[in-house]
Amino acid sequence: MEDTVLEDIEIASPSMVKQAARDFAAALAETPQFKAFEQTAYAFRQNQAAQLALQAYQQKQQSLRALLMLNALSAEQHDELERLESAFITQPVVQKYFTAQAELATLCQALGDALSESIGLNYAAACGVSCCG
Amino acid sequence: MQTVLNPSMQEAADALIGNLLASEAFVRCQQAHTRLNEDHQARTLLEQLSQAQADLRKKQANSGVIQTEIDNLRTLQEQVQHNNVIMTYAQTQQEAVNFLREINDEISQLLGINFASFANHTTC
Repeated sequence: MEDTVLEDIEIASPSMVKQAARDFAAALAETPQFKAFEQTAYAFRQNQAAQLALQAYQQKQQSLRALLMLNALSAEQHDELERLESAFITQPVVQKYFTAQAELATLCQALGDALSESIGLNYAAACGVSCCG
Repeated sequence: MQTVLNPSMQEAADALIGNLLASEAFVRCQQAHTRLNEDHQARTLLEQLSQAQADLRKKQANSGVIQTEIDNLRTLQEQVQHNNVIMTYAQTQQEAVNFLREINDEISQLLGINFASFANHTTC
């Protein structure tokens, strides 16, 4: 491997870069989008009806996993799954959580784009994030 | 619609970008990239490899691959692996990626979410 010449270049130490990363995180934590996300996530976790609706939906999904993978649900099973999903996502606390999550994602995407453009690497892809997170 | 960042968020983002670009991993990667761009032989080799891979994919789809084309691709791959300029760039880029992951961990630990996941545009 060829060795690079770093003389005459002011290098930021790893601890300096990590401090800048922590400052960045602290600034992000102070944004209205992040605060709203935290508040709605807390409200969602504390809401028993929403948690029960989520549990019911996930349990049904789990029990039908094999059929779902084969795309072999009966019309009744499909309707039941949709009904449970709807019962979950129409909970006001869940909708507020999803809205806050989407608004935080929009902000994070703008920040990620700015980082990617400046450093010449796709930030999310470089950090090993696929479409499923 | 473009997201407008508040001044303190913009300042923190600019500082992080400046520090990342001045980190040893990114400086080495940038230097290796410059050397690669200036090396005609290395660039030609990468172009030839890319072209050979594209040709082979096309022919595989049409079930028309012949042994000499596979041998040609293997020769190009070996040449790339023995090219110091290309391999230095590949290695320094991987080091920059590894460092970026450490930085993402630092951000994510403080926030309690994976920042890179939220920054990702693509969805399933």
